[in-house]
Amino acid sequence: MEFLLDAITSGILMGLIFSLIALGLTIIFGVMDIVNFAHGEFLMVGMYVAYWCNVLLGMDPLVAMPASVASGVILGLASHYLLVRHLLRGPMVAQLFGTFGLMLFIRYMVLFLWGPNFRTVSHGLIIGKSTVIGGVVFDLAKVVPSLISILAFLGVSYFINNTRVGKALQATALDAEAAGYMGIHTDRMNALAWAIGGGTVGLAGALLVNFWYITPEIGLLFVMIAFATVALGGFGSIKGAFYAGVIIGVLETLVGVKAPNFKFTVVYAAYFLIVVFRPQGLFGWKR
Amino acid sequence: MKGVGRGVLLGLLIFSLGVGTAVAAEKEVKIGVIFPLSGGLASTGRLLRIGVELAAEIVNKRVEGIDMPIAKWEGIPGLGGAKIKLIFMDHRSDPARGADLAKRLIMDEKVVGILGCYNSSVTKSVSTVCERYGVPMINSNSTSPILTTRGYQWFWRTTPHNITFSHDLFKFLVGLTEGKAKGVGKIPKKEIERIAIAGEETEFGATGIQVLEELAPKYGFKVVKSIKYPHQSPDLTSEAQAIRASNPGVVAFIPYVSDAILFMRTFKSMKFSPKIIWGQDAGMVQPEFANALKRDAVGVLTRTVFIPKIAKVKPLAKQINDLFKARSGEDLSGTSARAFTGLQTWAYVLNKAKSTDPKAIQAAANSLYIPGEELIMPWKGIKFGGEQKNERGQNVLGSGMIGQWQLAPGEDVPHLEAVYPFEYATAKFIYPFPKWK
Repeated sequence: MEFLLDAITSGILMGLIFSLIALGLTIIFGVMDIVNFAHGEFLMVGMYVAYWCNVLLGMDPLVAMPASVASGVILGLASHYLLVRHLLRGPMVAQLFGTFGLMLFIRYMVLFLWGPNFRTVSHGLIIGKSTVIGGVVFDLAKVVPSLISILAFLGVSYFINNTRVGKALQATALDAEAAGYMGIHTDRMNALAWAIGGGTVGLAGALLVNFWYITPEIGLLFVMIAFATVALGGFGSIKGAFYAGVIIGVLETLVGVKAPNFKFTVVYAAYFLIVVFRPQGLFGWKR
Repeated sequence: MKGVGRGVLLGLLIFSLGVGTAVAAEKEVKIGVIFPLSGGLASTGRLLRIGVELAAEIVNKRVEGIDMPIAKWEGIPGLGGAKIKLIFMDHRSDPARGADLAKRLIMDEKVVGILGCYNSSVTKSVSTVCERYGVPMINSNSTSPILTTRGYQWFWRTTPHNITFSHDLFKFLVGLTEGKAKGVGKIPKKEIERIAIAGEETEFGATGIQVLEELAPKYGFKVVKSIKYPHQSPDLTSEAQAIRASNPGVVAFIPYVSDAILFMRTFKSMKFSPKIIWGQDAGMVQPEFANALKRDAVGVLTRTVFIPKIAKVKPLAKQINDLFKARSGEDLSGTSARAFTGLQTWAYVLNKAKSTDPKAIQAAANSLYIPGEELIMPWKGIKFGGEQKNERGQNVLGSGMIGQWQLAPGEDVPHLEAVYPFEYATAKFIYPFPKWK
């Protein structure tokens, strides 16, 4: 029983981390109908920023969070203004290939700058620390990011639903043309979506550094799960990204304890079934 | 007459160009090298590449201070001093891509042979292409045992394989119960009797698990858990939990670097310390493993074929290690040392063949003998044959070691000490695996 509780707890904690990574992806898609293939690379850059803050400035990764968020915001805005905005004039295929190219560019630029070697942050406020409650081990390097993930979701949801700018963002997501007629500067809303998307995944990067190693390839490991999370939860649905991440985390962990080499089969099977029988995802809107 | 004269002149010109071209062609001999140079194994690929390039450089130029025959060659003597030209290709750990690259090297680059590929799964597909085209391939690093039992006529492997290494693990464990380890008394069998195995799910891990499962009962050990996991996984918590739940004394891993690091961090977060953690080389022998984990790697055992401390008994190893470190910033490891030896073997084969004709190379490889003193590896030598059923092309003079990551006073990053064979131990064995702080 303790073993099962351990597995479920780990699944929820991992799931909340997946949710945070997927949050930015779903916002960008929700507003612009664009899949950001470079999302994993935004995460990776956020991790490197936290790492370098630790190595060069002695900052704990938690203290380096604002720097990682800023790197994500900058990457997001740069992506929008220098690339995506221009891609919108082209066909859908150009948009897909555009962000795919961006993914490769960022990854190989980092590989060129900092090499392929694995890097880790060995000491920190929550690194290597855990506590046992009721026989269940709680690793602080996962508990704290999970809690911050919940706060991030609450913050973004509040912003989207309760502020003027947030409502303008929603309006742009629902119908950009109509939003434009109503005086909403849709290009700025698109940029804002990229900024929030980049910022939240940058935040995830700083949090992941407390446990994971950092390489130019690390983004790829998480982005596939993020795509499955967004599809499962519903493209553009913030609530969907939250719940889907947790579902995937628990599914992956529960299957993993019995049949680890099938855990991703089950995860992607769930994603496939949802796409076939409920294409809008668990909480997305049917168009 | 004028027409005949012009014809003769033209003929002579064409002939001389042909001869000149042939002479120029013989001055260079191309070897295709297929390694993982990007992706998750890019850091490993970098060291593999440097090892191979260093060996080629030593073959091609006279290098003073190296006690190896090839350091005096200045090109391959048997081929009129032809220099080795390496053509590197990146398989990205993808067997299908590896096979395509092999075809490209054979058909377009016209290589005389191939060296590769590190990943057993890629070596499998590339060697199949080489077999089909009758192009020699030497493998220096892949350890899946079945690679040399397929009856292939164009494939040779210099490294020992997992069966040899797995025997080493169990002989080591038995030796621990007999009090043979330096610095440790007899260890009660019941402390290390239960073994959990976790291997990544491709050829390397899957065959490694199979071998350990077969050998364990023969040595009186019990496999209590056996897990195959996807090595490109962002999370290995469930696997670690399953291992812990099986209550093993020994955890045997068959990982690549990324999963090795993730497993150790997960074990630390769970405060799980089995008595012994052992890795089947690859992920747990790389310098990146120690650099990433630092003191968290202390106590981890890894099968290996080379550690820099071998230099104490093999000066040649130190000479090459110094050159390698100057280029890479790292000491030679089992991975890079074997890559170096693989290219060195190619040089010997070509020299013996005295020709780039595939049949001549095949005959040379089948009858090759390199004495141990000409190698940086602590092996008896290189000679291809077979010990498994239907085995051929396997170096039967290779052997394994077991190293343990240990920290010297004042050190931040651990280094490898030899703990097996017991008679070659360079330090006391740390037992049990330290508790997590």
